Amino acid sequence: MYDKEKGLFEAFVKNKLSRRELLRTTGKLGLSAGAAGILLTQAQTNAMASDFDWMKYKGSKVKLLLNKHPYADAMIANIEAFKTLTGMDASWDIFPEDVYFDKVTAALSSGSSEYDAFMTGAYMTWTYGPAGWITDLNEYIKDPAKTNPNYNWDDVLPGLRASTSWNGVPGGELGSADAKQWCIPWGFELNNLSYNKPMFDKVGVQPPKNLAELLEVSAKLTKDLGGPYGVGVRGSRSWATIHPGFLSGYANFGERDFTVNDGKLKAAMNTAGSKAFHRDWVKMIQESGPKDWANYTWYQVGTDLGAGASAMIFDADILGYFMNGGDNKEKGNLGYAPFAANPAAAAPTPNVWIWSLAMNNAGAQKDAAWYFMQWASSVEHDLFGARKMDFVNPVRASVWNDDEFRARIDKSYPGYLNQYEVSAPGAKIYFTAQPLFFDLTTLWAENLQKMVAKEIPVDEGLDKMATEMDQKLVEAGLG
Amino acid sequence: MDHTSTFERILRGILLALVVLFFMFPIFWILLMSFQTNESILRMPPSVFFTPTFDNYIALVTGEMRTAAGSLQLNFMQNLWNSVLLSTTSVAVALVLGVPAAYAFARFKFRLGEDIAFTLLSFRFAPPLLVLLPLSLYFKSLGLTNTYIGLIWVYQLICLPLILWIVRGYFEDLSPDIEHAHRIAGYSWFQTFRKIAVPLALPGIAAAGLLAFIFSWNNFVFALVLASADKQPVTVGALAFVTASGIQYGQIAAAIVMSVIPTFVLAMFAQRYLVEGLSLGAVKG
Repeated sequence: MYDKEKGLFEAFVKNKLSRRELLRTTGKLGLSAGAAGILLTQAQTNAMASDFDWMKYKGSKVKLLLNKHPYADAMIANIEAFKTLTGMDASWDIFPEDVYFDKVTAALSSGSSEYDAFMTGAYMTWTYGPAGWITDLNEYIKDPAKTNPNYNWDDVLPGLRASTSWNGVPGGELGSADAKQWCIPWGFELNNLSYNKPMFDKVGVQPPKNLAELLEVSAKLTKDLGGPYGVGVRGSRSWATIHPGFLSGYANFGERDFTVNDGKLKAAMNTAGSKAFHRDWVKMIQESGPKDWANYTWYQVGTDLGAGASAMIFDADILGYFMNGGDNKEKGNLGYAPFAANPAAAAPTPNVWIWSLAMNNAGAQKDAAWYFMQWASSVEHDLFGARKMDFVNPVRASVWNDDEFRARIDKSYPGYLNQYEVSAPGAKIYFTAQPLFFDLTTLWAENLQKMVAKEIPVDEGLDKMATEMDQKLVEAGLG
Repeated sequence: MDHTSTFERILRGILLALVVLFFMFPIFWILLMSFQTNESILRMPPSVFFTPTFDNYIALVTGEMRTAAGSLQLNFMQNLWNSVLLSTTSVAVALVLGVPAAYAFARFKFRLGEDIAFTLLSFRFAPPLLVLLPLSLYFKSLGLTNTYIGLIWVYQLICLPLILWIVRGYFEDLSPDIEHAHRIAGYSWFQTFRKIAVPLALPGIAAAGLLAFIFSWNNFVFALVLASADKQPVTVGALAFVTASGIQYGQIAAAIVMSVIPTFVLAMFAQRYLVEGLSLGAVKG
């Protein structure tokens, strides 16, 4: 009887049995959900272990530095599968996001070997990589002795693979042939519209399709709803104000942050196209944004949408995803739409934030750490997280094609799959990789604040900002 | 003789009530928030009428938080315990070391005495971020990373200069004649210190200890850099309610209320000493 049940799950893992057939047969056998879960984990573990010596580092223990995030929760929920597969143990320190990167920077810069692997964003690797704090993972991914044959690196979305690799040359193209793979994409977010369907129905508008429509629709929502404002975007004096909706729309017009000539960087925010985009963006915030926009971060933008204080956000799709659940007032009322700011553009070009896994270069057990990293970024774990937890957005194409995952998302998050599919081909990092990224992008946000506050006209502000940035680039030997 | 009219007294009462209301309102609002759900807190317009819930406090005590992304584990009680342990022990160690040192600086003239005193005071001026990186390297070599002993040692940067300088001022304000009389009676300097100087300086010592406790309690960055998640104080732990899937305002408010209680109780207990000690110790004749 037990063998028969095990065989069922092994057939499912090898794709010889559909999920529907598996559920029907386990139901007939009277298996509980808990027992089915254990058998599925066992079958997945056996399948992974069949072609690779996963037990090579049995008995060793890796320590991880994690951000308090649903991605980390999904990993912890599935950690028994890792322990069973490898015979290794894992422990972790979890820190809230507000202080997380301070902790990472302190640990890495002091050369501490306490943590073997850690969560990071791709932008941060532009500092960590050239400083020698993290390991180029190409030497692991490309080594068949270290990476299991079913790892299927090519299954990871190409835009994400490219966005997490850089050759270390300021202005160097992400994902170039000589690029180092500084981290492994783990989960990501792209930027589109999340909107409140009942509010849109009440006012009688459809999700806007370009920037001109966004201005028009959000102004109408602000005027007609009599309370909630039209569109939420970030506005704090931080690089994080630029990277979500703003840069996604900006890039859609073909605008760049910097140009690179003969290895020298030059600010490109004062072109005619950039000025036109900035004028529209500033007008949108002045007419239809939150009153204290200059304090808005991820949290305020999301909270307002969830509480019904805003009708729409142009921000991370997973922010809209989270606000559609939990104890949010607008739970179940949110819809999602792709957004190409430029009416002439063929498709959206969302800039992405990628939570990734990186390896501490000072770590004392790098090979064992890689075993953890390849398990945590495997198809099997990605599937587990996407089906059972909030490990969205998954980074693997095969997971996006998974029926169970798609059914779950389609049922509770209408339009989410469509916004992803329309946008995914153009989703990547649109910033120029360079070591002054945080300083200069924060300066950009600071100037945007001045423009919205009418302290400085848009055109003049951008000219001054570009001059200031060029000067900083020259001082740093980059311009 | 009181020449204040009834009108003036009433006006003064009203003005005082307004000032108290102005300063106490944020604390009162946080207290109200701690008994509300996120939905109730975020409703527009805000209201003081709501159905109270103890869920926020229950979540903190049981260590489980429900969010938009599901259930999250919390270590708030561990954070609270860490704060109590680190602050209390650090202040105790600083008192043991600092009070005799303060007495020595106040009563005895010795070579490099002032230089040593100012060096100790300079620890208060050094920005923590400046010393943390070298400290973390030393901690790594000494095996003190992620230990309570290491953290208590580092917390002396906060406590020791404060206690030393406040208590020193207090000792200097006391007349040495009583101590001299005690010495003439045949007692040693240590007995004089223990039986005469310390009891007389007790208000100052209590005030300095309380201030050091408050500064230690509020510290954020030392444990963050030098220790693992299980040794973080409440100042770091409170940030756990700000998650990618939303801000748990009710639990933040409950955490603030709970984390204020130890300092509040201590301050109420030592209030008399605090005012007396600070005013006497700080003013030089």
